[in-house]
Amino acid sequence: MIQLSQIKKSYGRQQVLHGIDLTVGKGDVVAILGPSGSGKTTLLRCINYLERPSEGDITIDGFTVHCKRLTKSDIHQLRLKSAMVFQQYNLFRHKTALENVMEGLVVVHKLPKEQARLRAVEMLEKVGLGDKLDAYPSQLSGGQQQRVGIARALALSPKVILLDEPTSSLDPELVGEVLSVIRKIAKEGITMIIVTHEMSFAQDVASHVVFMDNGTIVEQGKPREIFQSPKEERTKQFLKRFAPESAYSI
Amino acid sequence: MGQHGFEIAYVFEYFYRLLPALKVTLLIVGSSIGIGTIVGLLVALPQLYRIPVLRRLSQLYVSFFRGTPILIQLFLFYYGVPEVLKLFYVDLTRTPALFFVILTYSLHSGAYIAEVIRGAVSAVDRGQVEAAYAVGMNGFQAFSRIVLPQALSISIPVYGNVVIGNLKDTSLAFTLGILDITGKAQSMGTLSQRFIEVYISLAALYFIISFALQKLFERLERRLLRHEPAAAGLTKEPLVKRSFLRREAASSKWRRKEAQL
Ligand SMILES: Nc1ncnc2c1ncn2[C@@H]1O[C@H](COP(=O)(O)OP(=O)(O)OP(=O)(O)O)[C@@H](O)[C@H]1O
Ligand SMILES: [Mg+2]
Repeated sequence: MIQLSQIKKSYGRQQVLHGIDLTVGKGDVVAILGPSGSGKTTLLRCINYLERPSEGDITIDGFTVHCKRLTKSDIHQLRLKSAMVFQQYNLFRHKTALENVMEGLVVVHKLPKEQARLRAVEMLEKVGLGDKLDAYPSQLSGGQQQRVGIARALALSPKVILLDEPTSSLDPELVGEVLSVIRKIAKEGITMIIVTHEMSFAQDVASHVVFMDNGTIVEQGKPREIFQSPKEERTKQFLKRFAPESAYSI
Repeated sequence: MGQHGFEIAYVFEYFYRLLPALKVTLLIVGSSIGIGTIVGLLVALPQLYRIPVLRRLSQLYVSFFRGTPILIQLFLFYYGVPEVLKLFYVDLTRTPALFFVILTYSLHSGAYIAEVIRGAVSAVDRGQVEAAYAVGMNGFQAFSRIVLPQALSISIPVYGNVVIGNLKDTSLAFTLGILDITGKAQSMGTLSQRFIEVYISLAALYFIISFALQKLFERLERRLLRHEPAAAGLTKEPLVKRSFLRREAASSKWRRKEAQL
């Protein structure tokens, strides 16, 4: 369903992605793990062209973009196939929760207002914010804002939702509510790619785990394979930092 | 000093007699702010979009108008522009002084407004633009629906300062013989020799208009910033403090990021 082939990205002389190949099936929940600076965010942002890859092809749902030669409308088509949930939520601050979710439906998908409203309410109820429709982002907690972000992404019925460390700017007590929403939509069979540092979450929600380091995919497979019997030395070292016994050393 | 003793009654009388000249003052303020806003937008755009050569030119423009006294600018335009245009066989000798006054004040406030726009647009965080792109908006939709409305409400207090500053600056237009309220007050003072009474009423008039403008902008800001109650509550705080608060918020974000590493 989603196929990345030979995605490369450089900032100036520094190459950040060294030819990434990745295939994601329909309904898969892919967790991307890796140390800081390994290129996880960059890869995710390349998928919806917030970052322009230097080379490579991106295919989502049968639509292929060749990064070497493409038009504005290719980028637009590609972006319509995905939705993104940001680490810093990035809600539209002058709009209410409801308006945040409606915005794309009305402006981009040209849905009539009333229909967009119904869909937005439905999505906000799904993330447990049916009672916060008219709240502005400044009146919501981080966890609530992130759930609006998820509702905004869901509403667009994208082929894939891209989530970049959706819980890492949250206070610890708010992480749970966001993870449980993500877990719930994962069960509905929505395809997701999640960059995360929540190991136990990745282990029980992901159907596929990708470990990245230095701009390459070092190892990938089923969560059980990666977490219990990693083959590569770098994966082992990385996972050791998150292993329970190391928790005491903090 | 006039030869007369101070009499409060004259203050009221002159106040009323100044009112008709208010038209001229408000005409200068209104048209120069109107034109200045368009100029400001045109000057800000090359800087916002980093257009190579135009960007330098617009920076030069801004530093000239901010770096020289408005009185000198007024004289430069009044005496200089007709001379320059004479070389192109355009005769401006019969053009009313008011034209040059409005021209100068428009270009002058345009420079300040360009700075206001630039600051306000860059204060809207980049992440929201990315979110707009991610839901499928194009550049124009993201600018007009997400950035512009927020930039407008952010810019209101500073914009208000520019308008009030402009109002006070127009008091120099009398040097070119304009009969705005200051010009009128000058001539009334010379005739009656009651300078103190005249200037008290003149000061009162400027104060009342500035105060009304200030209230108007505060109201507008509260209305436009109802989505950010914390920021809107700070209306009365000086600007420095507000931008400081914004920086604080940004830096605490950074600290949190650092803590994660
Ligand atoms: N806009 C940019 N300009 C220059 N270099 C960048 C830019 N964005 C990212 N980089 C570099 O690219 C590399 C990968 O960054 P990226 O943000 O993708 O890492 P990450 O795996 O998401 O890390 P983290 O876990 O800290 O979020 C880093 O070395 C970073 O410094
Ligand atoms: Mg990242």
